[in-house]
Amino acid sequence: MCFKTLPVEFDDRGRATLRGGIPNPYDVTIAKPDVGMDETERRERIERLVARNGHIKDLNMDPVTRIAGALAVHVTADLDKGQYLDSHSQATLFRGYEVILMGRDPRDAIFVSSRACGVCGGVHAHCAAYAIEQAMGIKPPPLGTVVRNMTEAAEMGYDNPLHLYLLAGPDYSESVIRSSNPELWPKAESWACPNVDIHGFRTMAELMTALNPLTGSLYREGLEFTRLSREMVVILTGKYPHPQNVVPGGVSTTLTLQSLNEYHSKLGKIFDYAQRMLAVWDDIPAFFYEADERYQYVGHRPTNHIDPGYWDDPYAYDATYENCNAWGEKRWSTPGVVLDGKLVTTRLTDINIGLEEFVEHSYYEESQTSRFPTDPLGNPISPYHPWNKRTLPMPGARDWKEKYTWSTAPRWDRQVVEAGCYSRLLISALAQKTPTSDFISSTGSSMRLLIPKGERGEREVEWHVPERWNAFERNRGRAYHYLFSQLVGLESLFEAYKLFKQGERKVAALNPEELEKAIPQDERVSVGWWGAGRGWLTHHLVMDKGKITNYQIVTPSTINASPRDPWGQPGPYEEAVMNTPIIEDLSDPAGFTSIDMLRAIRSFDPCMPCTTHAHTGAGEIVREVNTCSCGGD
Amino acid sequence: MADRQTSSPQLAARTPAQELLDALGPITGFHDSSSLGAFGMPSGAMTEDMLASAATATVATRFGPLEKVHAFWFAGMSCDGCSVAVTGATNPSVESMMLGAHPGLPRVILHHPVLNMESGPHYLRPAEEAIEGTLDAPYVVILEGSIADEVVAHASGGYWSATGEEPWGADGELRPVSSTEWVARLAPNAAAMIAIGTCATWGGVPSAAGNPTGAMSLMDFLGKDYRSVLGVPVVNVPGCPPIGDNFTETVAAVLYFLQGFGPLPEFDELGRPAWLFGETVHRRCVRGAYYEEGTFAHEFGDPECLVEIGCWGPVVNCNITSRGAIKGLGGCMNAGGACIGCTMPGFPDKFTPFYKRPPGSLASTTVSRLVGSVIRPLRKFSNDNLNREVRWDRQGASPSAFSREKTEPSALADVGHKFYDKMRRAGDTARNDADVWGKRPDEAPSGGSPRIRS
Repeated sequence: MCFKTLPVEFDDRGRATLRGGIPNPYDVTIAKPDVGMDETERRERIERLVARNGHIKDLNMDPVTRIAGALAVHVTADLDKGQYLDSHSQATLFRGYEVILMGRDPRDAIFVSSRACGVCGGVHAHCAAYAIEQAMGIKPPPLGTVVRNMTEAAEMGYDNPLHLYLLAGPDYSESVIRSSNPELWPKAESWACPNVDIHGFRTMAELMTALNPLTGSLYREGLEFTRLSREMVVILTGKYPHPQNVVPGGVSTTLTLQSLNEYHSKLGKIFDYAQRMLAVWDDIPAFFYEADERYQYVGHRPTNHIDPGYWDDPYAYDATYENCNAWGEKRWSTPGVVLDGKLVTTRLTDINIGLEEFVEHSYYEESQTSRFPTDPLGNPISPYHPWNKRTLPMPGARDWKEKYTWSTAPRWDRQVVEAGCYSRLLISALAQKTPTSDFISSTGSSMRLLIPKGERGEREVEWHVPERWNAFERNRGRAYHYLFSQLVGLESLFEAYKLFKQGERKVAALNPEELEKAIPQDERVSVGWWGAGRGWLTHHLVMDKGKITNYQIVTPSTINASPRDPWGQPGPYEEAVMNTPIIEDLSDPAGFTSIDMLRAIRSFDPCMPCTTHAHTGAGEIVREVNTCSCGGD
Repeated sequence: MADRQTSSPQLAARTPAQELLDALGPITGFHDSSSLGAFGMPSGAMTEDMLASAATATVATRFGPLEKVHAFWFAGMSCDGCSVAVTGATNPSVESMMLGAHPGLPRVILHHPVLNMESGPHYLRPAEEAIEGTLDAPYVVILEGSIADEVVAHASGGYWSATGEEPWGADGELRPVSSTEWVARLAPNAAAMIAIGTCATWGGVPSAAGNPTGAMSLMDFLGKDYRSVLGVPVVNVPGCPPIGDNFTETVAAVLYFLQGFGPLPEFDELGRPAWLFGETVHRRCVRGAYYEEGTFAHEFGDPECLVEIGCWGPVVNCNITSRGAIKGLGGCMNAGGACIGCTMPGFPDKFTPFYKRPPGSLASTTVSRLVGSVIRPLRKFSNDNLNREVRWDRQGASPSAFSREKTEPSALADVGHKFYDKMRRAGDTARNDADVWGKRPDEAPSGGSPRIRS
């Protein structure tokens, strides 16, 4: 029984039904999540706070740099108390990819939707392929799936270090610490790094200097390793970030022993680097937690995560919705939902039917329909489910109480969940369903990863589910996810060799002529469940008479950057900012840089043309969902 | 909205840029920089100042008149894929340009939302100075992503794509400023306007049929009469994404010229770097010879020419098959990806549906099949001969264990090969009748075994 808000229950055979006797069961006034404080209480609280101290600052930060794309977050900051009282996250870009796709031939979806994201276009291309395959009933041959897994592992190989060293890393660099956290610098100079043997930095100060933008050795090494992984990608895809090899039913890569060997040789250089990366991102939280335990609350949120899994079992994946729970659980990264640290499901059907997308505070018209009351298996779905939702853009003036973002508010069981590459580690660790592997194993509370020997010796490392999710754990998780993804790349490479040994060369199910004939004329619904550098990715497709009649994309940053939902629950960025204590040196209020907020926001690896607005003022409504233990009024 | 999309290209009197500035009205001022404090400046300094000590060359090692140039990177309706591609460039690399580490180039002060340390109004301060005319060096504007038709969004009080806020609202209130507006205000005094990627150069996917935003290219936005202060029209480096090196090389080539040592870079009639986009991608395609021999891929993954599974390479201007995607590796057709024309003004709508052979290929592949049916057997015949050592010919057998099953050439082939060899050696001056006195007279004749000596 995984749903607690939606009126959905399960029969003995695990099929979902709507609880009887409720008129309009999905109405937002009927199925309401428990949101804690109500609106009046929140308003009273902020008024009390404003009355008690006059040092609430009114500030605007727009744009926030070192994120991909456009995001804005509005916050109310109390510099006396060291708290962010309120926050609104705004996506400030709309391009209409879903709208452009509608009315097209389904064969256009892969290369058009790829252009939705240039940081990881490959993931969209693949996700669209999965949606098309499910709608059309095309099962890729094993080698096709293996090449996809290799590609996507390599794509993570440039995505993760790009974030850690070019985007987030400078926030922990010498240049920032000496300016925003001068109290930490003497500590950093004397703090001996536990992992000096691996990364070579004797003190935290040395390590921080290496993180300096453009001039630091870790920054430069990170950039160079992103290039290595891009090379691995283009050997298979022709180009990046938008691949040219993805086709419905497989790939069009001309795979030879040369391509496998070139991929192999480049991958071989990555494992030593991964050891150094883990050493760096293990030492950083250790230093900060020791220096000031309030850092545990920078970017803190409850452990609510969602992920549809990633990297298919080439033999289990059959492109059907009917068997998705079986093949889903065989993915290298297990699908699932974690609420308050507890794994509530690993079934893709549950993940799908619990999903809703709200536009209460977004620049769209209300768009829910009841076109599809159930999924193809008869499980009930909401009028707000992507198959029932339409994209009706409506640019308008910004108003915190009304509409303020181009992002929508995806929710699962009407709960606020977070997406991230680290969510893969969390769910896989708890579920203990990862495929048998010499390199990857799940213990129920951790992931054990064996790093193969390079020039440095082999080493087993373990990622533990953190006690408290915060900015530091997101970054650490991203570093471990880098290794995880590269090990999936290695396992997939070996699978490719094995298939080669068996004489297997087929990489796609159909040729172009067969593909054209296979386009169905009746109405079909389908969903591609995939992942991005930031976690969750879905493409929901409806087609009829051979053309796309609805196309809905939910990206991880849609989830994380989401605004308030109809019940006033803030999105993950908003909540994380509100839980962030202001720790930076505030002896001179004019010196307030908002670095703690920036660390919180950047730890999600926002991927959208984005800006962050920090705005404060008396009378703003504070919505506080989780009281941070070091804050309090 | 649809009306604006179909009618705006014909608007001769007012360019879309002028229309937008008319709709927005004049601007009155900028952020009060003295009141900004350190907010959004966690390192206490602008990226330019942080890098200055590492990046500045002395007069002695400076190659030309320019010490530095500002480069404002704006993202319109963009996926950031061009930014990602450019961070992969190595000829030259973006970090070497920013650090003044590419001898001959001025220091490039890049204002890029993905790379800079400062956020918020501090980040936009140099752009404000550029509009004010107080910036301390020449600047170029680089646009990634299409230009949204913000006149439409503005009419309903909103925006499609915003970058920062400025006090340009009624009574000096802060309002979101669209990237489109920044571009329109910066263009008149820019040293160059450079569109990177197919969205900015030709509108790309955001401007495809059915789009709700009125997206267009930088050229369409600024109009055909646009010239930078150096007299240059919009420079276009297309590709979805572009090859990173194509972009950094174009910027570098312009700067080499301005520094006085480089040739004037040549641009074609659409503002593309002519040395990069002058050829079709098919001409240097690694599979081009399959076309010549009339053999074509039928299944995805086949090694032959991809035209019949949807490749448009023979009619697309691009250099990815010769340059590769990064560090010479990849390239669409090299890896097995059919060209969908992503560098072209007609992309995507003139190339869809994908995975379908271009209709025009029917004529040309038929011809190449005919020619190929003659060429292929002749080449096979010669290739067979060249796959044999001269010794094997003499011995009449090949000892390769791999070829145990391989039959010896037929008597007819043997005659043919001998005839071919005769033709080949016609005019070979080694056959002239001169006394080779520099070696023992009884040395083995050509191809024979050396004598055993005691």
